[in-house]
Order: sequence, then C-alpha cells, then structure tokens
Amino acid sequence: MSPRSESPNRTDARPAGETHSARSRRQPWLAIRAPISQGRTLFLGIAIWVIFFGAWWLATALHVTPALLLPSPQKVLATLYHLLASGQFANDIGISIFRIVVSFSLACLVAVPLGIFMGTFRSVEACVNAFVSAWRYLPAPSFIPLLLMWFGTGEISKLALLFIGVVFFLITLVMDHTRAVRQELIETAMTLGGNRRQIVWTVIVPAVLPDVVTAMRQMLAVSWTYLVIAEIMAPTTGIGAMMMRAKRFLETPEILAGIVVIGILGLLFDFGFRKAHRFLFSYLY
Amino acid sequence: MTTHDSRSSVKLSLEGVGKSYRLRGDEYIKAIDGISFDVRNNEMCVLLGPSGCGKSTALRLVAGLEIPDEGRLCLDGHPITEPGSERGMVFQAYTSFDWLTVQQNVEYGMRLNRVPRRQRRERAEHFIELVGLSRFRHAHPRQLSGGMKQRVAIARTLANDPSLLLLDEPFGALDAETRWHMQEFMVKVLEESRTTALLVTHDIEEGLFLADRIIFLSRGPGRVVEQIDMSFKKGRRVRSKEELYALDGYAEAERHIMHLMREEGSAGA
Repeated sequence: MSPRSESPNRTDARPAGETHSARSRRQPWLAIRAPISQGRTLFLGIAIWVIFFGAWWLATALHVTPALLLPSPQKVLATLYHLLASGQFANDIGISIFRIVVSFSLACLVAVPLGIFMGTFRSVEACVNAFVSAWRYLPAPSFIPLLLMWFGTGEISKLALLFIGVVFFLITLVMDHTRAVRQELIETAMTLGGNRRQIVWTVIVPAVLPDVVTAMRQMLAVSWTYLVIAEIMAPTTGIGAMMMRAKRFLETPEILAGIVVIGILGLLFDFGFRKAHRFLFSYLY
Repeated sequence: MTTHDSRSSVKLSLEGVGKSYRLRGDEYIKAIDGISFDVRNNEMCVLLGPSGCGKSTALRLVAGLEIPDEGRLCLDGHPITEPGSERGMVFQAYTSFDWLTVQQNVEYGMRLNRVPRRQRRERAEHFIELVGLSRFRHAHPRQLSGGMKQRVAIARTLANDPSLLLLDEPFGALDAETRWHMQEFMVKVLEESRTTALLVTHDIEEGLFLADRIIFLSRGPGRVVEQIDMSFKKGRRVRSKEELYALDGYAEAERHIMHLMREEGSAGA
C-alpha cells in the first residue's frame, strides 16, 4: 500500500476541522521515503558544501581559529593553483596515481580469479579461506616495520602495503558474490549440457562480473587510504609525502590542498568506475 | 519386463527410486521412497501431489542434478548418472541469463553443444517465433515480464532438442492470468515440438489440463499413490480451459484428485 492511500485513514483520527486542510496539505518537507525532485536533490547536495565552506570561511574571516592552523578556503585554493603550476606537485600526483593503479591492478589480478575459484569450488574455498580470513584481520599498517626492513623506503614497500591492504578483502568480497550466483542458473546450464569449464566461463563469470566491478570500486577507496599511509611512512614522493614536507615547514595551506586533491581524485576514480559499470553492464540499467 | 514392443515405447523409467536428505547430524528425512513409474514416448506426464511429496526431488533425480540412494532411473534404456542436454529442465525461478539477449539465451544451449552458428541462429529464430517473442529477439531479459522470461526459458530448452523436457512448476511464479495463458501456450508448444515432457505441479487444474497421464504422489516420503489416465479427454489434447471445463468427467476427475490431496496432504500438515 502506498503512503498516499494510507493518509485518509490517518486523517480520520484527527479532529473534523483539520481533515479538510489535511487532505489538501502539501507533502511535509521530510516525508518518509517519498521521492524528491531532481532539482531538490541537486540543491541539497550543493547546499551542504556551501554550508561547509561558508562555516570555514566565516571561522577564518572572524579569526575564530588561528590562521596558521586553519587557513581560509581562498588561501587553500590559491595555494593549490600555485602548487599545480609549479610542476613538482603534478609529479607527486602522477606518482601517487601510478602507485594506486599498479598495486590495485595486481591485487585485482590475484583476488578476482582466486575469489571466483573459491566461490565455485568448495575445496578451494576450504583451503584458501582458512588462510585469507586470518590475514584479513591483520591490519595492513602493522606490516610497515617489516616492509621497511625488507624492501627499504623505495617503491616496493609502498606497493606491497597497498597490495596487502586491498587483496584479502577483495578476495573475500569476490568469493561471497560468486557464492551468491543463483544455483538455478548453474543447474540450467548443466541440463543444457554444459561441462564444468563452460559453466564457469559462460555462467558464473558473467553472472558475478557486475558485482566484482562494484567490489573493486569499493576497495579502490580503501586503496587511497593506504596510499597516504604508505607515503607518510617513507615520505619521499607522492601527495602524502608533499603533505609531510609541508607539515615540517608549517605550510598548512599545502596540507589542505593535498587533502582536497586526494578527495577529488577519489571522486574521479569512483565516477570512472561507475561509468565503466554502466557501460560494461548496460543490460542492468 | 514385457515384450520388446512395449519397452521401446518407454522413454523414461524409474524403478524403486529412493532419496533421503540430511537434516542435521545423523538425522535424515526421506523425500521419496521406492518410486516406480514410466513415461512413454510423446507423452505429457504430470507428477502431482501435496507440497512436500518429493515431486521436485523426483524431477531433479531424472535431471541428474541429484543422485538417488536406491533404485534405477533409465532414459531410453540407458541409466541416468549425471545432468545432460537430452534432459533439459525449466525451473520455477527465472533462469534467463541477464547478460544475453533473448536470441543469445535461446542459442546458449546449442553454443555449449557446438552447433554450427548458422544452424544455431535458425533454430533459435524458429523457437523464439514458436513462443511468440520474435519482436523481443534483441531485448535483454530484464526488459521482459515474468511470463515472457519463462517463455525464453522454454524456447532455450526446446531449441537444445532434448529427448525429454523436464518442467519444475514452470508457471508457479506467475500471476493467475499469465499462468493460464502459459498453460494453453504449453499445449501448443508440446504439440508442435512433439516433445516428451515430465511436469511437476501442485496445481490440480494445471495437471488435468496438460496431462496425458497424472502420477499422484503421497506426502513425505513420496510414494506413487495412483496413476490417473485422462480417459475423460478420450486421447485428445485439450486446447483451452473452457474446453477442459466442458468435458464430461472433468469435474469428477478434479474431485477425485482433490480427495487424494486432502487425504495425503493432511497427514503431516
């Protein structure tokens, strides 16, 4: 029953005088689960940012906060512009993106086939899951001292941290999604004469792929988290390293500019994955 | 075993087939117990019974999706050991592959069995037309209604040329109106494709409408209670529901099965 058809019953319980106005009343601003217009969605989405930047600007303009610890938004924006113009920062951004792409691709290359295998064959799951579920509960940063000892402060230790931080969760997610592929689809292929290899490639893989891409999108956010940790642990290059350098010289605007860039990049990657999902799996939309 | 002649007309035979499932630990529940029956060539045979009579289990055993604890199942005299394309099955749940178009769905089984592309396309087109979905050949299943999705599943199974068509309550998830349309449509499809079929249902009217013969199973564990010949149809297939209702003997047959249903159904309900 829709909320609309229920409302006459509710108004019946009210005093007679109110019934008429209640029927012609506008939808309350906070109507439970009622759809809202596109215009309002956009307005509300922008409003929260306007409020955020307004409060920030007000706090700095009225000198409520010390300028050294919290520079004004316009100062951060100007710093961001100068950083990008200087070229060094663009380099740092490029290196950070490179680290994400390489480590995340490696993690996917391992996790996706393994997760699909685990979700398909109970024996593989029984064996590998006993290993993976233990590693999943070890926080990736706890490996930092070891990684530094093994690989030094170079590229490998950073890529390794990013890989460890993502791969075990991704394996579990892909496995769960694969297990959720409906049994009837598999049995249909069996009664159509499909062998094991055909069923894996023509039923299980295409059925689970949309969920795999969604899982990848979710884990990419985690990858960004570990990126900053990796770049802070041995601050030589990358966005995180730039922020650590800025901290040493009390360049708060640069730190904030770094945060803004990470946020924007995260959004862009997320957007890219959503677009790719729509493009690859257009039959779902 | 009687004469050679009568054996050759048997498509499927079950002899003393039993199957139990484990509930937990050492507790087992017997789903079916010593079931024996035959399905003859070009026959529409219906397994009917109260819920929990193991009729779906029996069908899954025929499909080879489960292994029996005891007894023998044979198709054309060969024992059934695993699933195979000669026993295509249509499920109650929708099983269209979302990532394929209607045409690709119907071609799917033939692709598995390496039927040449051209032949594949022609057969698929034929069966898509038979189920009345020509206009939707290039649509994806998500764009189709429940009844249309089931028609895709039926076309996909028939296009694969099974020697026995297995139907597990294929219209159970549909609304009442779509269901009787599909039942009438099924009669047409079976006639045109000349397929032997085994259908599982708990819908008495559906059973009487579609069946050449009904095998009635008792409730848990499933046993064959009675094999009911549709003598009131006088060997003809009924094409519409109205025609069915108008037949002498229909009401009596329905009453008889209703009675069996109550007797068997109440036992453990």
